[in-house]
Amino acid sequence: MSAKSQSLLWIAQRASAALLGLCVLVHLATMIYAVRGGLSAAEILGRTSGNVAWFAFYTVFVLAIAVHVPIGLRAVLIEWTGWRSRGRDVALICFAIFLIYGGMSAVKAVFR
Amino acid sequence: MPSRNFALVHRLSGIALALFLPLHFWALGQALQGEAKLESFLRWTDRPLVKASEWAIVLLLAIHLTGGIRILMIEFLPWRDWQRTLAAIAAASALAIGLLFALSSTAHAQAWPHKPVRFVVPFPPGGATDISARLLGQKLSEIWGQTVVIDNRGGAGGGVGAVEAARAAPDGYTLFFPSGSVVTANQHIYAKMNYDPEKDFVPVTNVVSGPQVLVVQASSPYKSVKDLIDAAKAQPGKLTFGHAGIGSQTHLAAENFVNAAKINAVQVPYKGEGPSLVGLVAGDTTFLVTNVAAALSHIQSGRLRALGVTSKTEFPQLAGVPPISNTLPGFENIGWFGIVAPTGTPKEIIQKVYQDTKKALESTEMRARFYVQGLAPVGNTPEEMGRAMKEESELWARVVRERKIKVE
Repeated sequence: MSAKSQSLLWIAQRASAALLGLCVLVHLATMIYAVRGGLSAAEILGRTSGNVAWFAFYTVFVLAIAVHVPIGLRAVLIEWTGWRSRGRDVALICFAIFLIYGGMSAVKAVFR
Repeated sequence: MPSRNFALVHRLSGIALALFLPLHFWALGQALQGEAKLESFLRWTDRPLVKASEWAIVLLLAIHLTGGIRILMIEFLPWRDWQRTLAAIAAASALAIGLLFALSSTAHAQAWPHKPVRFVVPFPPGGATDISARLLGQKLSEIWGQTVVIDNRGGAGGGVGAVEAARAAPDGYTLFFPSGSVVTANQHIYAKMNYDPEKDFVPVTNVVSGPQVLVVQASSPYKSVKDLIDAAKAQPGKLTFGHAGIGSQTHLAAENFVNAAKINAVQVPYKGEGPSLVGLVAGDTTFLVTNVAAALSHIQSGRLRALGVTSKTEFPQLAGVPPISNTLPGFENIGWFGIVAPTGTPKEIIQKVYQDTKKALESTEMRARFYVQGLAPVGNTPEEMGRAMKEESELWARVVRERKIKVE
């Protein structure tokens, strides 16, 4: 992999980490509000359903996860297993797609 | 701690979290398919083992974040090693404490009901529907630890209350407590209705049922069913009967009687059973075919005279009052009062209301309280109630068509 690609991955890893830190905080605040406020499941879904802001936020959250996790696993696979073939990147891209699919299914259910 | 150990811990926790994520997304995707599934999921997360797993994940997240924050600081901040470590641990600990705080309190949100439940009764106070709702509501308040509020919304033969309940949020906190006809007959009587009993409500349980009683004012010259029928035949269209509103159970019971007796009497609609009884006591109408529960106190106090009951046999609470079928062979009319919920109410809540109502009705105290009101507990399942409502709706469709009862 070229030095340019390496540094792009490095930047993506750090940027997604910073974004995830922020997303976890917002998610945490939401959970505390929903739970401490005594909202029922119907009330929670009533507020998230059709709310574009929540949809956008959780979409960003899922995408940040889909970027951060495979890059982190890539470094682990290279250093611990020595797996350096193209198959490794294909497998990680598949895992990223799987995370996006799973995450967006949950986001879609919240938005619906 | 040396940097390489931090990196190792960061990676191990990262791998564990990466493995957990697909499972988390899958569970969330399943749980968010509807309120009922979410309620069930939230209850599931309250189990000790699940709770322990959640805490383990929070710990992993905190460890991973500590390593991550430290890495970012090494790369971007010119701090000393111990300063970075301390700051990273502090930041991650704050986050972990927050997460644990949130998770430990999830149990509070889940249990239904966590606030008062409203029974919309589509008639004013004093009628059998209101009496039944209040008796059951009192017992359910004890079982649920939440107040059951009786919200009387009379008018339009139960239509006003039905619309109010149909438009309420289907979250289990508003339930509809009608007499049977409001959800089985009105749709055949009213040309225009702002609610559709079949589409807007789902059955929960039939609470109680009971016969009606034919009553006249205490000073009335009619001493028996035969007297009343003879008088009506002698002066067609002169006698009047009150009822709780067009299409109400008491209206249909009276129409059924008029039809069976082959007499001509004029109907006088009231806003509810209570007001129709007041009207009869005041002498505004000639007779009522009303629910035993509502009329009993008036009969016992001597304000009204009972001529006959609509059950095929004599009714224990009205000993000495003969069945109308003694005069009109085969005549029978039984009324019922039950709970339906706005469509979309989570199935688990419907099931809980049914189970708790059944439990309440099984208590000796409740059976006794309904008995003195002339009502018998039912407590059938939502499926059984649905089938019975369908059959009754078909019956009333035929009666309404034959009697030409129509409100434009």
